[in-house]
Amino acid sequence: MTATNAAAYVEVQGLVKWFGADRAVDDVSFNVSKGNFVTLLGPSGCGKTTTLMSIAGLHSIDAGQIRVGGMIYTAPKNGIFMPPEKRDIGMVFQSYAIWPHMTVAQNVAYPLEIRGMPQPEIDSRVADVLRLVGLAEMAAKLATQLSGGQQQRAALARAIVSRPRLLLFDEPLSNLDLKLREQMRVELKRIQNEVGITSIYVTHDQAEALVMSDEIIVMSKGRIQQRGTPHEIYARPVNAYVSNFIGVANLLKGRIVAVNGGGRGKIEIAQNGKQLQFPCLIAAGIRAGDEAVLSVRPENVQARRDNGDGRCLEGEVLQAIFLGNCVDCRVRWGDFEWKVLTHPRGRLSKGDKVYLHLDPEHTLAVQP
Amino acid sequence: MSTQTLTNETLQAPAASRWRSLVTQESVATVVVSLIVAAAVILPLLVLIVSSFRVLDPGGFDTTWGLDNYRTLYTDRVIPKAFVNTLIVCAGSTLIATFFGVALAWVNARTNCPGRGRMEPFNLVPFFLSPFVGAIAWHNLAGGKVGLINSWGRDFLGMQGNLINVDNLYGVIWVTGLFFAPLVYLFVIGSLRRMDPSLEDSARTTGAGLVRTAMTVTLPLVAPGILSGAIIVFVTTAGEFGVPFKLSAPYGWQTLTTQIFSKAVGDDANIYLGAAMSMALGVITVLLIWIQQRYIAPRSFTTVTGKGFRPNVIDLGGWKWVAFAFNLGFILVAVVLPILCLFIVSLHPVWQSRIILHDLTLHNYVRTLFFWAPDHIAAATNGIYNSFILAFAGATIAMILSLVVSYMIHRTKGFGARLLDFLCVVPVGFPGIVIAMGVLVTYIKTPIYATLWILLLGYITRFFPYGQRNVSSVMLAISEELDQSSRMAGASWFTTLRRITIPLLKPGIFAGWVLLFIIFLRELSISIILYSSGTETLSVGVYYLTNYENDTLTAALSVTQTVMLLACVYIFRRIAGREALTV
Repeated sequence: MTATNAAAYVEVQGLVKWFGADRAVDDVSFNVSKGNFVTLLGPSGCGKTTTLMSIAGLHSIDAGQIRVGGMIYTAPKNGIFMPPEKRDIGMVFQSYAIWPHMTVAQNVAYPLEIRGMPQPEIDSRVADVLRLVGLAEMAAKLATQLSGGQQQRAALARAIVSRPRLLLFDEPLSNLDLKLREQMRVELKRIQNEVGITSIYVTHDQAEALVMSDEIIVMSKGRIQQRGTPHEIYARPVNAYVSNFIGVANLLKGRIVAVNGGGRGKIEIAQNGKQLQFPCLIAAGIRAGDEAVLSVRPENVQARRDNGDGRCLEGEVLQAIFLGNCVDCRVRWGDFEWKVLTHPRGRLSKGDKVYLHLDPEHTLAVQP
Repeated sequence: MSTQTLTNETLQAPAASRWRSLVTQESVATVVVSLIVAAAVILPLLVLIVSSFRVLDPGGFDTTWGLDNYRTLYTDRVIPKAFVNTLIVCAGSTLIATFFGVALAWVNARTNCPGRGRMEPFNLVPFFLSPFVGAIAWHNLAGGKVGLINSWGRDFLGMQGNLINVDNLYGVIWVTGLFFAPLVYLFVIGSLRRMDPSLEDSARTTGAGLVRTAMTVTLPLVAPGILSGAIIVFVTTAGEFGVPFKLSAPYGWQTLTTQIFSKAVGDDANIYLGAAMSMALGVITVLLIWIQQRYIAPRSFTTVTGKGFRPNVIDLGGWKWVAFAFNLGFILVAVVLPILCLFIVSLHPVWQSRIILHDLTLHNYVRTLFFWAPDHIAAATNGIYNSFILAFAGATIAMILSLVVSYMIHRTKGFGARLLDFLCVVPVGFPGIVIAMGVLVTYIKTPIYATLWILLLGYITRFFPYGQRNVSSVMLAISEELDQSSRMAGASWFTTLRRITIPLLKPGIFAGWVLLFIIFLRELSISIILYSSGTETLSVGVYYLTNYENDTLTAALSVTQTVMLLACVYIFRRIAGREALTV
C-alpha cells in the first residue's frame, strides 16, 4: 500500500456475479478509504452479501476486480483468485460461527495459532482483545455456554485479534433482540474506532446503517443506488427508492418545470385536477422537463391551523397516533395521504382541518 | 485462459499464480476423490455389463461375444425357477417384515404398552446380526428331523414327523422377514414419533373415531415410510444369500443368489453367465431403489416442527398387555430363541437334536477360536482374524472417503457435487453379491485377486454410502459459516478440515464407523464370492463349517460372531447414546 493511495484502500471495480441466470451483482464499483466504516445497505437479495463474500474470497466473481491496499485479491480477467485464508481479512458472520467444540479463548486464539505466533504472545493478545470486547471473564467457557450477545462479542474478538487489513461484517446483529441490538451497535462502533481497522458492514436495517457508518452505500437489485454519509443519504436521497428505503417519505410524481442555480428549481404536481408548483431542491442529474418525484419527510411537513401565506395545502386529519414525543398523522389531501409528524402541542385529532406547509429547503425533487 | 496483455495493475501477481489459483488443496482433493469413487463404483459395474455378453465356449477356455448368457437365463432348467423362487421369497419376506415392523413401531411409539422404552433396543437387535446365522439357528431350532422343537414334539407329544419345518421357502421367508423387520421399524418409527399429535387431534375434533383417524390421517402420513421400508426389505431379501443357501438350496429350492454363487465358485463355474444373472438381479433392485428414492422418499411428509410435543399416546386399556405379549413374542422368536438354541447346540460334541447334559463341552470353541490349538480349524480362526482386519481397515478407509465426499457434496456446488451425490446412491441399488461379481470379473486377472485387498474393495464400494449418509446428516446440521470463518481466520482448506470440520463431525463419523464395522464383521454375500483359501472371513468361516464340518462347530462360531456383534452394538450405544445408531 502506498500513502498516496490512502484515499482508496479497498477498491471494487465493475464487480459482476451471476447465480445461474440471475445477475446477483451487476457492475458494482466503490472505494473505501483506510480506517473508514462503510455500510452496504439494502433489502435481502440486493447483492450486498454477495459483494461482501466476493471481497472475502468465499466465492469467485464473473467480472471485475477487487483490490485491497493496492494488492489484487480477485481479478478473473487475469485469472487471479487469492484464496480466502491469504487475504488477511477478519470476518463476523450472521450466525456468529463460534466453534462449539472450543472455548472462547481457543476460538479467539485460532487465527494467531494459524499465523504461527509464539504462545506467550498469543495469550497476551487474546487477553487484551477479550478485555476490549468485555469477555475477559468468559475466556474458559465453551462457546455453547454463551448468550447471543456474548457470542457476537467473541466473534468480533476473533475477527480483530490478528489485526487484519480489513474487517467484514455480514448482518452480525440480525439475530439479536431489539434491546441488545441497539446496545451492540454502539459497542461495535466503539471497538472499531478503537482498533481503527477499515470495515465493510452489510445490513438491511437502515437505523443500524445510520448509527454506525462513516459512509453508506445503498444497493438494490445488484446495483448501487447512492453512496454518501448517513446525513447525505437521509437528507438528500437521489431517487425515490433511496428516499423510501431510508426512513419514511411522502412521494408524489411530477415534472420539473424550472431549474435555477444552486440546485434549486420548481416541480409541478398534478393533483385534484389542478397543476401545483412547489419550489424545491433538485437532485443531481435532473434537468427541466424531466419526470421526477417530490419527496418530503414527514417531520419536514408542517401542519398548521391557519392558511398562513395562503400557499398551504388544505387537508383533513384522518388519523392521529400519539407516540409520546410526537404525533404520527395521516392527512387527506384530495386522493393523496400525507404522512406528517407533528409536535404533541399541536393537539391535532381526527377530523380536524389542517393546512400543510412545505419548506423549500426540505422539499426534494428526486429521480423516479 | 484469456491472452489479454497484463495491465500494470496486475503485474504484482506472478504469472504462476494463475495456475496456482486453480490447483488448490480443495480442487486437488475433489478431483482425486471423485476419480477414486468413480473408479470404485463405475468400473466394476461397467465390466460386469461387458462380461455378461461374453459367452464361454463348451470347452471352457475361450469366449465369444453374444447374447447366449441372457438366453440361458430363461432356457436353463434351474434359473427360471430360481427367479420365481426369489420373487416368492421377496414378496413373503416383505409382508412379514412390514407387518412386524409397522405393528412394533406403532406399539412402541404411539401406545401405552408397558416397557416400551426397554424393548426398543431389543427390537432392533436382528438388524445388527447376521441373517445367515439366524438361518442356521432356526435350522437347529425347527429344521426337519434335526430341529429341537420337532424332536421335542416327537419325544414329549408323541408326534410323527415334524411339528414345523423351516427347511423350505417358507422358512426362508420367515427368517428373512424376522431379520429385516427392523428396517421397516426404523423407517416408520421416526415419522410416528415426530408426527404432530395435533394432526390426529384435529381429525378427532371433526368427529372421526379412533380407527377412522388412524386410517385417514395417521396411515397416509406414515405410508411413504412404510412403502420405503417395504421396498428396502424386498431389495435386501433379493440380494440375501445366506438364508436361502442354508434353508432352501440344499432341499431343492434355488434362488438367484444361490445360483450366482454356484456360477462364481462352483464346479460348473461360469463367471460370464454369473455376470448375466447378476445383471438380471441388479436391474430389478436398481429399478425398485430408483422408484423409492425418486418418488417415495420425497413424499415423506415433514411433520417435524422442532417443538417438543406433549407425549400423546393412545391408551390401549387391557389390550396393552396383548401388545406387550406381541412385542415380547417378537423378541423371543427373532433374538432369544435362536441365540439360545445356537448356544445349546454349540456345547455338544455332536448334535443329535437332544440336549445331553453329561456331554456338554467347550471344545467346539477351542477349535474355532484358538488358532494355537492343535486341532483348530483354519477357516474359522483365519476368518476371525481377517474379519477384524477388514472391518477395521474398511470402516476407516470408507469413513475417510465418506468425509471428503460429503464435504464435496455439501460444501462445493456445481456439476462435480451432483455427480458425486449420484455415485454415492448407485451402490445402494445393487445387492452385495452383484457388486461382488462386478469386482470379481474386473480384478480376477490382477494381483489383488485372492488377497484381502479385493475383499476390502468390494466392502468399501458396496457400503461406503452408509457411512457417507451418517456424515452428511451431521454436516447438513452444521452451518457452513463455521468453515468459512476458519478460512477467514487464515487457515487453509486442509487445516480447516482438520481443526474445525472433522471435530464438529465426530459424532457422525463415529456412528458411521461403528455401523460399517458391524456390517463388515458379519458380511457374507460379498465375501463368499471374493474369498479364497487363506482370506476367509468370519461369515465365510461359518459357511465353511456348515458345509464341510458339523452343526456344533458351526454353532460355536455363530455364537462367537453374534457375541462380537452384540458387544459392538452395546459399546457403541454406551458411548454414542441411544438415538445415534440408525440407518
